[in-house]
Amino acid sequence: MSFLSFFKDKQKPGTPGDNGNVDRGIMVFENTSEVIQAENTLKREGWEIRVMGPPPEIQSGCDLVIEFPLIEELNILRSLEGEGIPPLEMVPVTSPLLQPVDLFHIKDFGEYIMVRAANMKLTVEKATENIVNVSGGGCPDVPYLAYEMVGQTLADAPSPREIGHTLCGYALQLAFEEVKRRC
Amino acid sequence: MSTKVDARGLSCPQPVLMTLDEIKTGNTNEIEILVDTETSKENVSRAATSQGWEVADVSEEGDEYKITIRKD
Repeated sequence: MSFLSFFKDKQKPGTPGDNGNVDRGIMVFENTSEVIQAENTLKREGWEIRVMGPPPEIQSGCDLVIEFPLIEELNILRSLEGEGIPPLEMVPVTSPLLQPVDLFHIKDFGEYIMVRAANMKLTVEKATENIVNVSGGGCPDVPYLAYEMVGQTLADAPSPREIGHTLCGYALQLAFEEVKRRC
Repeated sequence: MSTKVDARGLSCPQPVLMTLDEIKTGNTNEIEILVDTETSKENVSRAATSQGWEVADVSEEGDEYKITIRKD
């Protein structure tokens, strides 16, 4: 069963979900780079959207989707088509099917703090704000992300959003922003 | 003088943090670190390099790795 057919089988378009409303949809893209581009575009335009990870039982590799207000489907589609990044498909869905990727887990090691976002962990020395470790993921760009970021301070390190191409890069960006907020 | 860090059985980032703690003591210019995952081996090597240490040797015994790092 394909990724999309799972959603279609579970939730017919227009069918009320558990909360009695179908007011959100998801957009599926060709690859994660397009998801990140689309997120940047839509947020810049003020749309209320969220990048989500599909539920674990249907996730294959580094899938990401964007949740959006269904009522704005055509406007959002026009906007993305204008940017040259139309989604592969837009599907109505209820939120219990999705998992947000921005759930943080914080571990304090004393001199160091680790922030985990989804499948990525970022560890920073508190006193110097030096990034001492990047781990997790399993995506092909993680070694590169770690190579570019470990040893740099939070202020000097490149943004994972700019240099990453996968869900891991996206999750690392969230951890990066969270640890900067805390340090 | 060489010192040892046994980080076997620990998950990231703990092997890295233990290595950095040993580096910070300033008591040695050679440290042997024992880890038991490929990921920890890479993370420890990367962290040591970022601190200006050289990865002098990595040996593999079964599922374990011994990383020797040095600073002149």
